[in-house]
Amino acid sequence: MHSPLVPIPPRASQYGIEPELVKTRVSELPRMTSVLLKELFPDLPEVIYPSSEGLDAIRKASVAALQKVDMSKIKPEHSVNILASHHGFTLLGGEPYAELLRTIRDVVEARTGCHNIRLRAGVGLRFRETEEYIKRYGLDKDFNGKAIGVAPIDQGIAIETEIGTLYGIKKVYDADWIIHAHNSDVREVHFHRQVDRAVKPFGMSYARIETRSTYHQNLGPRAANFTARAIFDSPFVQSKFAFAAFLTMAPNGIVGVDVDSNLYALNDRVTEIGCRYYGKMMTLLGEIDECIAALDFPAPAVYVFSAGVIYANFAGANTDLYDLELPLPAYTWYTESFYGKLGRPLLDEIPPMNKAIKMTVHNYAWTGYPCAFFTEHIPTVVVGQEQAELFNRDPQNLNYMKHAVVSESTEDAMEFAYKASGTRKVIVFDGAMGGINVSEPLAELLLKKAPEVSERVEETLLPKWLRQRGVRL
Amino acid sequence: MKVVNLLAVVEQDKCRGCRICEFVCPVVAIKMENRMAVIDNGRCRGCAACEQRCPEYAISMVKREQPVFVKVDVSAVDYTQIEELCTKAKFNPEQLICYCTATRAEEVAAAILQGAESPEELSYLTGVRTGCKVECIQPLLRLLAAAGIEPRRPKDGWQWYGKTVTVWEIPEEVKQKYASRGFYFDEDIELLNRIVEAPLQGRSDT
Ligand code: SF4
Ligand code: SF4
Repeated sequence: MHSPLVPIPPRASQYGIEPELVKTRVSELPRMTSVLLKELFPDLPEVIYPSSEGLDAIRKASVAALQKVDMSKIKPEHSVNILASHHGFTLLGGEPYAELLRTIRDVVEARTGCHNIRLRAGVGLRFRETEEYIKRYGLDKDFNGKAIGVAPIDQGIAIETEIGTLYGIKKVYDADWIIHAHNSDVREVHFHRQVDRAVKPFGMSYARIETRSTYHQNLGPRAANFTARAIFDSPFVQSKFAFAAFLTMAPNGIVGVDVDSNLYALNDRVTEIGCRYYGKMMTLLGEIDECIAALDFPAPAVYVFSAGVIYANFAGANTDLYDLELPLPAYTWYTESFYGKLGRPLLDEIPPMNKAIKMTVHNYAWTGYPCAFFTEHIPTVVVGQEQAELFNRDPQNLNYMKHAVVSESTEDAMEFAYKASGTRKVIVFDGAMGGINVSEPLAELLLKKAPEVSERVEETLLPKWLRQRGVRL
Repeated sequence: MKVVNLLAVVEQDKCRGCRICEFVCPVVAIKMENRMAVIDNGRCRGCAACEQRCPEYAISMVKREQPVFVKVDVSAVDYTQIEELCTKAKFNPEQLICYCTATRAEEVAAAILQGAESPEELSYLTGVRTGCKVECIQPLLRLLAAAGIEPRRPKDGWQWYGKTVTVWEIPEEVKQKYASRGFYFDEDIELLNRIVEAPLQGRSDT
């Protein structure tokens, strides 16, 4: 057994409590250990980050990947918007994504002679989140003051698509060319189901509320992501699209940088890596029979990471999130909306939240995403009155604390969770890189189950998942 | 239904009169007076859209001394009419259409049947769209359309631009074209239809 890995530190943000208030990390408590992801799945790819080369590896890989893309359409007198999303800044501390953005800017300027290069960084439901990242990583300086955060309630622009008019954020498209700078981390598999993952921001962080609501309320759980494809394929967006540049992610880190002017070719590569490596990790987490889930990461409760998997996906790990034959995961907004007045699903076939999660200890996680569904269905202890108060002041979480209790310290919260749940298995969602912080009994279980899971995914599940998405290896 | 516990407050000397807060307020609670933003405290639903978008950071959210309880009385309307309207808009009346405020389709339908004619009025009366401010605009537009109402957009505002497609309206040729790429349109229609028709839980006669 190894010592616990260093978790991602708390971040100063208007969406979370002050970092000084996070006095103890769950991984620091007695009897915590870690498992390296390569020990679980030795076939995971080699990573360029984290590595001894640090951020230089990202710059080198980005420069090399950008070399193969044609930029001749971009003329010195043109304007270019590099489109970014908040999500990238939540990966491995955020610096690698910031470095990708800087490198794209520098290479485009050097290759084309174009100086009017702006950063437009979209968000989820925390409208100033990328504004915070732009300052934190000095991107305003790197982009000569031309870096802004954009939000889905900002001024819109109508986009004609093959399914009718949808709406984008005007400032996303106010340049001659757009460059789609993203990453292949799977994150919300419960929403996009690994269908057109690489295209998703066109229907989400680059889009207006009308489009995002179409995704989450009008199309259904498995047709939702078509909004992104419809917008991306529109003549308007196609007339501006220059190329895409992605950090290629695996659960254990950054594998490389992928640049392509054919987004769908890139998407197929993303689909394969997403299904294979993240699919294995999620299938393994679905094997956990009982545990306490500890949330300890600078992001809203649903987005805290462990082994590259977000808590929202662990809450649905009792079903196969990649299998498109299953219409509804245990948690998606469609699922949540289909619970009737008595707190039961409207249809019997709707799966319950992952019953293996006996309790959740919310040590440190942000506001800015509606999470009351989680406290309603999973017994939750929130650490610190300040954190509880922050949730009570969040218009998206007015009901979160209605179903949770408050504990004074991390130690007390965990002691309570051990006693009340009766399990000694703990999984910590703290963003530890290259491994997973867990308690010893859970480490043993994961190591025991991983080989069988790996074989099952390779031989049975992966071929099915790829077939369902029309992707051939 | 929402308990409004916050109120937006403008710091007048920071305001530069750009009107962005006015354009994003989902209940139209902000007006410009002498080129400065003024908030109608009685109307504000504490959503923080203005605070989050003001480029001058001139708005802050303060705790209200007395929270305001915002709710439309569903029992004041014949429930058969509510069911009819929800079904026409393809919602189960008990379906949640706003995750942040836990507002169900029936409450919005009741507000429409009692005379509300725009998303802004619906947000003001029920609190819907005053949490995340993003995800629930289409259900409001669908329910209004089902009631035969064509709402008018607030003048110059960015509150909303238009109703969009639903899965029931996806053209056949689009479905065919992408059938092998993992979009399960017809299967999702079948699922959503069953949700619409699912028995209600909250009625004593079911
Ligand atoms: S957004 Fe800010 S600066 Fe602009 S009018 Fe409103 S309060 Fe004033
Ligand atoms: S309802 Fe929202 S946008 Fe309107 S004034 Fe109140 S907090 Fe600001």
